[in-house]
Amino acid sequence: MKLKEWVKTLLFYEIALGMKATLSHFLHYKPITLQYPHEKKPLPPNYRGMLALLRYDDGTEKCVGCDLCEAACPSRVIRVVSAEVPGEPTKRYSKEYYMDMTRCLFCGLCVKACPVDALGMTQEYEWAVYDKRQLQLNKQQLLAIGDRNFPVREKRLEFQHPNVAYFNVGFKEIPQKEQ
Amino acid sequence: MDTGIRLALTLSQIGAVMVAVLLTVAALTLLERKVLGWMQDRMGPMEVGPYGILQPVADGLKLFFKEDIIPAGANKFMFSMAPVLSLVPALIGFAVIPFGPDWTVDVGGVNFKPFVITDINIGVLYILAFASIGAYGIILGGWSSNSKYSLLGGLRSAAQLISYELNVGLSLVGVLLLSSSLSLVTITNAQAGGFWNWYFFGGGGFPQAVAFVVFIISAVAETNRTPFDLPEAESELVAGFFTEYSGMRFAFFFLAEYGNMILVSCVATVLFFGGWHPPYPGTLMEYIGLGHLIWLEGIMWFVLKVAFFLFLFFWLRATLPRLRYDQLMRFGWKVLLPIALGNIVLTSIVAYLFPGN
Repeated sequence: MKLKEWVKTLLFYEIALGMKATLSHFLHYKPITLQYPHEKKPLPPNYRGMLALLRYDDGTEKCVGCDLCEAACPSRVIRVVSAEVPGEPTKRYSKEYYMDMTRCLFCGLCVKACPVDALGMTQEYEWAVYDKRQLQLNKQQLLAIGDRNFPVREKRLEFQHPNVAYFNVGFKEIPQKEQ
Repeated sequence: MDTGIRLALTLSQIGAVMVAVLLTVAALTLLERKVLGWMQDRMGPMEVGPYGILQPVADGLKLFFKEDIIPAGANKFMFSMAPVLSLVPALIGFAVIPFGPDWTVDVGGVNFKPFVITDINIGVLYILAFASIGAYGIILGGWSSNSKYSLLGGLRSAAQLISYELNVGLSLVGVLLLSSSLSLVTITNAQAGGFWNWYFFGGGGFPQAVAFVVFIISAVAETNRTPFDLPEAESELVAGFFTEYSGMRFAFFFLAEYGNMILVSCVATVLFFGGWHPPYPGTLMEYIGLGHLIWLEGIMWFVLKVAFFLFLFFWLRATLPRLRYDQLMRFGWKVLLPIALGNIVLTSIVAYLFPGN
């Protein structure tokens, strides 16, 4: 056994073994990397990317300003300023909606917490910016992200739907999409 | 008149060799990244030009236009001298390398050897001497930068070069004993006529395979390549002795490293693998009736052998991790040195008992 070890050392057996491994990769060259900006890896359908606010098919916002996402968020990303829809005291919407994406950890708890499915996670991930203030998104930006990622929107909920009945009683003057 | 012709011929020869070496360096910078990438299941540089083949041009332009920074507190004179001290010895060694048949051409009454710049009778000594001067560039570059990483890199390199230059020198002694010459042209000519005459396989009576292994290990250490790249260990010393260098000065160190690689490959080819001699007796060009192209075949074989050794450098880099510093020293002094000395003793016994073999 001792002799065998000696012979192996003298013949650089281990080094030869390693060099054989690298050479076999060299000869059977098959890269496992992607040329990233040109080729992109396909994402799984449940990928948790950039957050977005959604609308119904008639262009009205889904968000009812209930603050549940703000409560669910573990990193305090979301800040909702809720308000009554003018002229309809029974109905609320988010007057302002801020997300500080520098802190977001993409856990998806806000999406789960939303009772009216107003939040969605998109497949966007290329959000590197030069100024980190550009990652503090307001409601218009979040809606725009939702518009470009979900072109086919959900039908408006029925009046009798329990969520809608609970959160939004009337629908006369819900804010329209800003053109 | 003769002096004028000789000067013109030698200058054009030097120019041709320099251009060839620098072009090889440019190609090597790309090839190294490509080969390393392929061995590690990556693609290497792919952006500049088709398959990244213009990457050396982009690198060169970038280095050329970079700001030339001299750190505060640096010894300005030494700091600017060090890259030159490192580059010149790396390039000057090619003057004695024979890269083609040992012909003498008569050009206007001047005896001119087209395939070696100068055939001095102490060629091996000359290369070793200039390799030692190259160490000054590294040490001074590390010392004059006024940075702790550079200093550590320079000190490491000083210790490493001294230990391993000894082994390089001693491993070549066997070949010198068998060929009884220090001239690289004479050594090459002694290995003519098939690969069994190469000193690696036993030309001259005693195979120098062990000496070659010692030489190639020490050569890797002397050119500061992985697994002996302690002077520029990225993970410990940022970039070692050239941490503070930028722009063209950095490019000089880079050129010197690759130039040394090519030089060491050339020396290994000439001393152990028959230089430009093909591995079969005679020449292939004569068999197919192109006798005037023998020189092309010789140069081709020389380039092929050198290319193999350069590939070996990349291959080792892709395979082996860096040694620890005490391992490096112990290996150099306690393993390689006795082996090299033993090889000298055996070779001299054989050369004494069977002279002229």
